[in-house]
Amino acid sequence: MMSKREDRRAAARVVREQLAREKRRKRAIWTSVTAVLVIVIGGFIGWGVYANQKAGKVNVPTGANKDGNAVVTGSGPVVVEDYIDFICPYCKVFHDDAKDELTRLVSENKITLVTHPVAYLDRFSTNRYSTRSSAASGCAADGGRFTEYVDALFTNQPAEGSAGPDDAQLISLGLQAGLTEEFSQCVKDKRYVTWAKKVSDDAGAAGVTGTPTVFVNGKKVQANAAAIVAAVNEAGGAAPTPTS
Amino acid sequence: MKRFLPWIGLLVRLGLAGVFIVAGALKVTDLPASGRAVVAYELMPTNVAMTVGAIQPFFELMLGALLLIGLATRVTALISALTMVAFIAGITSAWARGLNIDCGCFSKGGHLPPGVTPNYLPEILRDIGFLAMAIFLMLYPVSRFSLDGWINKPEGDVRTDDEQA
Repeated sequence: MMSKREDRRAAARVVREQLAREKRRKRAIWTSVTAVLVIVIGGFIGWGVYANQKAGKVNVPTGANKDGNAVVTGSGPVVVEDYIDFICPYCKVFHDDAKDELTRLVSENKITLVTHPVAYLDRFSTNRYSTRSSAASGCAADGGRFTEYVDALFTNQPAEGSAGPDDAQLISLGLQAGLTEEFSQCVKDKRYVTWAKKVSDDAGAAGVTGTPTVFVNGKKVQANAAAIVAAVNEAGGAAPTPTS
Repeated sequence: MKRFLPWIGLLVRLGLAGVFIVAGALKVTDLPASGRAVVAYELMPTNVAMTVGAIQPFFELMLGALLLIGLATRVTALISALTMVAFIAGITSAWARGLNIDCGCFSKGGHLPPGVTPNYLPEILRDIGFLAMAIFLMLYPVSRFSLDGWINKPEGDVRTDDEQA
């Protein structure tokens, strides 16, 4: 038989335990709320940082397209758009393969070539080569030698993971390609570094997730000479090239 | 066994924290690239995907930090599990639709160059492993050296065995 005193003590114990349980429940709710808030706040920070990173004032090079995010070569009826990054190995493969055909189509006034030199791959060089080479290509466009400079950049493409040519080397490549002192100044001034970012952001917004990417009259085609020529012929209504 | 559970919980919690912190840190340095990785899944309108991709590394870092300190372990484990389910669903759908993309799990992702085949199966299996870790923590959220444990330190003699939320 329990004494009255023991009874009371047991009752008090139950009450104490209940209070403690209630306290723990409240703490659990508050820690959970805190944790969720931390995550939500983190998300908002991300959003803020991302919104802030969007390019502000941007210089646009001579010969750019209407949107100011690519350099236009030629004035033919069929629009060929290519997105390239100067450090991307497959872009070099594509460039070497398609260069002659693209030059021919431009000179025969069949296509307008719209080149977006995106800087997606800054992480593949130790000195932001993608951004700096893209910016330098804008300077070359000002000097009227964009195509020649693109050729020079791909000929001297650095290996992924290494340090790409520095600004001085980018300048000397330009001078070799026939550009002038004005080009050197433009590279030194970093005039088109924000433009490189705009080109990349616009490309991302257009759904271009990798390089090289090619569109012929807005339709995505494989990044090689044969596919582009076929698509251009189809779009231009030209008779297909006879096979044998 | 019961004695060891909090130690196993510690390992699982720190492991999962490491996964999220590494994944977030690798992407946080280039938010547009992280956005393009989400765009490549072709599951959302481009501008939505870019924003989701920009937020995701911060989300992962915060989740990782909470797991690291062990605050609200059951809730963070639940969020981790839901995140893993979403990742697994995303990769599976990319696989099913024959997309040729890098999952962007521990990198900035995007389209793979021609001739490179994606590794969807190992990626899915790995995420299932992480999902299992998260589920373990949901079931046994009590772990050593956690902020939860410190907050719920038993006072006096009212200790019961159902502590911890």
